[in-house]
Amino acid sequence: MWRLKKVCHKSSRPDNTEQLRLKRREQERALRQARRDKQLFSKRLLLSEDEEHSTEQHVTKIPIYSSLILIIYVSTQCTSGKCGPEKEASLKALSRALRDPSAQTKFIKLENSIHVLVGLLTGSNTECRLLAVRCLHELSHSPHSAVSLACLPASPYLLTYLSGQSTKFTELCLYTLGNLCPDNDAVKDKVLSQGIIPALTNCLETQMHNLALVEAIGFTLSQLLQEIQSKNLHTFLYYSQIISVYSSVKLFINLSTHFHCLLLAALPLIVCWVFFYLSHSIPGDCSVLLSHGALSKCSSLLVSIGGTVAEEKKDEGLELAVWPLLRCVGNLLSSCPVEHLSEQVDTRLLAALCALLNVYLKTQPALAREAAWVLNNLTAHSTDFCSALLTQNLVPDLIQLLPFSLGINTMILRVLANVAHQKKHFCDQLVRLGLLSALCATLKMADTEMVVLSLDVLNMLIDGNLQVAEEFVKQGGLLMIEALQYNHEGELRQRALYLLEHKLSPCVCLCCSFSCVSSLG
Amino acid sequence: MLQPHLAHLMTEENVLVKSSVDNCPTSSETEGKDENPFNFQPQVIHLPKDHELFEDGDVQRHMYLQNLYISAADEEPALRVSEFACHISGCTATFKTLQEYEHHYNSLHRHVCCTCRRSLPTARLLDIHIQEWHDSLFAVLAQKQDMYQCLVEGCGLKFRTIKDRKDHLIIIHKYPPDFRFDKIRRDNRDKRRALPSDTEMEVVTDVCESEGMCEVVCGTTSNQRDPDPSDMNVSEENTGHMETSASTAPDPTEPTKPRYSYRVPPNVCFGQGSVRGFRGQRGKRK
Repeated sequence: MWRLKKVCHKSSRPDNTEQLRLKRREQERALRQARRDKQLFSKRLLLSEDEEHSTEQHVTKIPIYSSLILIIYVSTQCTSGKCGPEKEASLKALSRALRDPSAQTKFIKLENSIHVLVGLLTGSNTECRLLAVRCLHELSHSPHSAVSLACLPASPYLLTYLSGQSTKFTELCLYTLGNLCPDNDAVKDKVLSQGIIPALTNCLETQMHNLALVEAIGFTLSQLLQEIQSKNLHTFLYYSQIISVYSSVKLFINLSTHFHCLLLAALPLIVCWVFFYLSHSIPGDCSVLLSHGALSKCSSLLVSIGGTVAEEKKDEGLELAVWPLLRCVGNLLSSCPVEHLSEQVDTRLLAALCALLNVYLKTQPALAREAAWVLNNLTAHSTDFCSALLTQNLVPDLIQLLPFSLGINTMILRVLANVAHQKKHFCDQLVRLGLLSALCATLKMADTEMVVLSLDVLNMLIDGNLQVAEEFVKQGGLLMIEALQYNHEGELRQRALYLLEHKLSPCVCLCCSFSCVSSLG
Repeated sequence: MLQPHLAHLMTEENVLVKSSVDNCPTSSETEGKDENPFNFQPQVIHLPKDHELFEDGDVQRHMYLQNLYISAADEEPALRVSEFACHISGCTATFKTLQEYEHHYNSLHRHVCCTCRRSLPTARLLDIHIQEWHDSLFAVLAQKQDMYQCLVEGCGLKFRTIKDRKDHLIIIHKYPPDFRFDKIRRDNRDKRRALPSDTEMEVVTDVCESEGMCEVVCGTTSNQRDPDPSDMNVSEENTGHMETSASTAPDPTEPTKPRYSYRVPPNVCFGQGSVRGFRGQRGKRK
């Protein structure tokens, strides 16, 4: 059940796609706004099997009145001790009814309603248990935080059942807990002190073979860690628990990369997000995670994914796994001292990142931008990686990417600047690969930061090398620099002036003669 | 847009940035105004999880969680190519392709008269313009000889008066009577022009020349004086600018305008490759 669910729509009607697209765009806008308000949480609703297989997606709305009747009926059934198919049918109907948000709020206000459910959850009728947890699951999906608070009495039982053997049941428990977590700090504190993290770790270790469960565990963990406040971590207890989570996740990933092709495609996408949130839940720098080998693990995963992608065996939805890995590597690199970099990270990561850049450039430019960011962090201080970039012949591809905006070109130019900054003879190699003509184009771009970086790179390339300066002038770059002297941005003016005075002055006469020739012709 | 936030990155307090330990090869020479402005340092950029750069990825993830995820093949690509902008100060034109930019630059900013800032389409017409409008020797000679050249290349004929040349163009070469590159210079305008440029020269020398900023070549000057707007080959982009600069154009009757001390002195010229004026001044100041 982990498969990537496409939007289910009545595909027979093509005119619906436009509406769906609009709807999707609207929802995307809402998500962006929620992220800006730091309120971006999602809940998952697991559909029951009969619902999933039906082609119709409408929700049967049972009026609230009847749900009250139902619960009263069910509770009387309960107390009377009769366990029969009527009870099960009524529970099923109740779970359907609870899909409606207003029904949910009414339900929790009824006296003893949750108590009844918890009773059924822990009762002897296993079918009723399953149905009761389904009802709780529907409740947990409520947009109202009051409802989640009301479900709290069930949490210790849900946690206990995590170490059970019934996979369907465990999955529902997991998603219910995952839905409950983000709503309220009180809920989070309660479940943390009830030992949710060790329970999840244990579950992961025992159920590692079951992909659906691993995805559910990943979901719950990421919900928990997404907004974990440092106050929740004030005891060392939680800190060590998080480390143990990490170890288990790593164990899982080891297992999956062992069966490279098959499981890579099946790599539960959410687990990778756990990694990312983990790297943020420990306050301060990430050296603890580094010492557990997080950087090498994430980077080798990226190398495998990069390899798959380069061979054009890109799986749908793979980017959902790539995103968190990129972010982990990107941020872990900032904590990793340069001397240890080569031990932890394979230089093949460079090629993998370039492959990701190229493949996702058009479809997911934001992902391409993050890959470029990781490239920057890799090459910032490391001579090895800069020289590897050159020897693996990745620079021409990078130069091709300079026209693209959305922050991609500035990052890539930054990477090239890192390389030029390292060593003099890297500059010569860059010039040989055609960077000068690319700079002549980037100097004309509208984005100020791009122009500033271009001038910086130009300065490094020309530094002490008259031939490069002449080459630049020959390509017509001098005019741009002269024009930039009078630009309204101070940074541009100062740099242009400095270049003209100190680096390009012997070439001005050369340029005069060229321009005379060109104007006559 | 991402860029301003990317620049922000360096100064945000909650961003951990490690700067290079090595010395920057372009070490700053602290010799007064010759300070090296280049301060690029390779930096490892650490981004907090709420950073704007991560917005798209988070949104995609939550779309998946909420079962809204569609594979990218269904959506139109969102990639954008960087725009180009004319960097001549005052010219706010932007372009989608390099060819458009080059065309704009070559058409408008290459053959520009330094004195009156008119933009002419070819070098030859520029030479003729400079000769006829701004050369006092020419004015003297024109009284005695045929000096006004025919505008058509290869014709080679010269005429005593402007009218003669115009008639020649119309009759022989079938040019329209209102040919745009054959305007008559109006004397009183030039005299008026001389006044503000002198004062501007003075103001400029007081201000550090590296802050110099040139107003757009065709825009500001033309709207001051020309009743006929089609005096030069002005593209649509600049007309927009002309409107905006109308309010900021210096009033020639007020001599000192510190905010326009950024005007480039008249003996500086673009398009021909050599910047004579400022260099000379800088040499003097040292």
